[in-house]
Amino acid sequence: MKIVIDGEEYPCEPGQKVYDVAQENDIYIPTLCLNELNTGERPAGCRMCLVEIVEENNEEPNLESSCSLPVSDGMEISTKSRVVYDERREVLELLLSEHQQDCRNCGISGDCKFSDLSFEYDIDGVSVCSECPNRKDGCFLSRGIICLGPITHSGCNAFCTRNGDPCESCFGILKNKDVLLFGLKDLDEKGFTREEILEAGKVFSYEETKSLEELIDENDIFNKEVQE
Amino acid sequence: MKDINIDVKHVTRVEGHGNIIVDAKQGKLDEVLWEVSEAPRYFEAFVKDKPFTQLAQITSRICGICSIGHALTSLRATENAMDIEVSGQDEKLRKLALHGENMQSHVLHVGYLALPDLVGQGSVIPLASSHPEELKKVISLPKLANEISRVTCGRTTHPRRLIPGGFSKLPSPLELEKLKTKLEESVPVLKEVASFVKELSPALPDFERETEFISLTHDDEYAFYGGKIASTDGGITPVDDYLSVTNEYVVPQSTAKYTKNNRESYMVGALARLNNNFDQLTPLAKEVAEDFDLSPVCHNPYMNTIAQLVEVVHSVEDSLQLINELLDKGIEEQGLNYQPDIEPKAGTGVGAVEVPRGILFHEYTYDEEGRCTKANCIIPTNQNHGNIQHDMEKLVPEMIGEKSEDEMELTLEMLVRAYDPCISCSTHYLDVEFR
Repeated sequence: MKIVIDGEEYPCEPGQKVYDVAQENDIYIPTLCLNELNTGERPAGCRMCLVEIVEENNEEPNLESSCSLPVSDGMEISTKSRVVYDERREVLELLLSEHQQDCRNCGISGDCKFSDLSFEYDIDGVSVCSECPNRKDGCFLSRGIICLGPITHSGCNAFCTRNGDPCESCFGILKNKDVLLFGLKDLDEKGFTREEILEAGKVFSYEETKSLEELIDENDIFNKEVQE
Repeated sequence: MKDINIDVKHVTRVEGHGNIIVDAKQGKLDEVLWEVSEAPRYFEAFVKDKPFTQLAQITSRICGICSIGHALTSLRATENAMDIEVSGQDEKLRKLALHGENMQSHVLHVGYLALPDLVGQGSVIPLASSHPEELKKVISLPKLANEISRVTCGRTTHPRRLIPGGFSKLPSPLELEKLKTKLEESVPVLKEVASFVKELSPALPDFERETEFISLTHDDEYAFYGGKIASTDGGITPVDDYLSVTNEYVVPQSTAKYTKNNRESYMVGALARLNNNFDQLTPLAKEVAEDFDLSPVCHNPYMNTIAQLVEVVHSVEDSLQLINELLDKGIEEQGLNYQPDIEPKAGTGVGAVEVPRGILFHEYTYDEEGRCTKANCIIPTNQNHGNIQHDMEKLVPEMIGEKSEDEMELTLEMLVRAYDPCISCSTHYLDVEFR
């Protein structure tokens, strides 16, 4: 019995899991929930070991967690495709949303799988809003007060918004462009202007607001009036 | 007689960089200089064109020690310029915050920076083995002081809850209750620390030079948060006319401006406040002052350290009083994430607050949109530089022939330290033409 991983054939036994075949052949697949404390069970809980089952005429990519995926003869697996990388990265971001955000500056850094994976998958934080306790009426943006939470790197545990003051982006503008764009569009929808945002950002993140300006122009945000 | 050549670059156990230079040949004094070598800070230029809501946050960064003082002075200037009302409750909480900062800074100076001189050590570390029990008591006090700042301002440095018009978030009654208990517990500790300093105080040099002392004064209280400008030479000046008191001028050896009023120089700080407002000290604070034979008008600058100790006691007692008043009346609730609706308007306002090192002035001019068009900040240490220089000019000739060069150097360093200078804050934007 054989399976193909990343274009190479490997022998395997019926009932074996794809993850174990990869392990035997030194093929790297990341995982968080499979560890020394958790050898017997396969909870397939962290979803970091996602792989793609390559099949012809597949409309949607077929992704499975390799630790619980049994082998079948001739099965073709990809551990390195773009979709696998993106999907694992998203899984990691979701896991991190329940965790101290500023992973790269954590003191345990270097001896933490979570942190290692954050580097590997280039996780650079989610916005301050994820840590902010203010919802609905408590949110400054819903009251028309400019708050840079949606475009600011988290990790401060939303100190200012917890103390009743809007975010001034002292932790820096988000580096993850997707999340940053999402935040900017959110600010746009709530009726804030390009100038308001740049002015608020300049207090603590003067240099970063320059690249923010470019990003806003490239993506044509805050231009509603002009279009109309 | 031997030539004397003292060149201390830079004085240690003070904030920032300053140098002492003494040159004497054959017992004749050539030169004595107090040099300030810090780079100017340009904060007045930073805040230009900024909206009024951002100013306190920015100017708070002038100093990490007096961040609450700068924020409050800035807010008072803004509130005066735009006629913004602040409730009685918020004023009490602001005074409490100021006490926290004042206490923190004073204990740091008395316990960590000045005390080593009195036991003949170069730093506070050797005191851990020579006076372990006493040092533990000293160390417990900054923690308490920081707790006051945290409860009132959200954190110990760079207050977050202080905003134009009041507070964005108020402390809970429970937090105030807890703080009250801690303050009450600290009173016996304070007494022991005071008697420890008393034992060592004979090591303070006995030096006097008549000078002018300037501080705020207030009819109803020992002034920290607002009032009028008082001088030991007599006369009360409204805060709006602060420029007639400060009279800044530039000297070649200093990047900080000097100031003078009635005489060649004046002093601000704990000793100046005590000299102007002694009768308004709390009972225990007065007792401690009398223990040290400290009464107005004291012209020995070295006693500034003792005046700070007295003020720590005052701050604890007055904080207790403020908390009691707040709890008795009950904290009046405000909405979640309170941001008062302020209609900006054009105008000029001056704020004056007593911060640990003395009287601090901020003045802002705003346009109709509430943007700052002009700012001026006069910091306590830059008002003290002139007095330090003139003290040295009197002190050095008195010591020549009496003391060795090392002893002279130490006495001069102790003089600078007694002023508890915050040197890097004192350099502000210089409008000078270089030729």
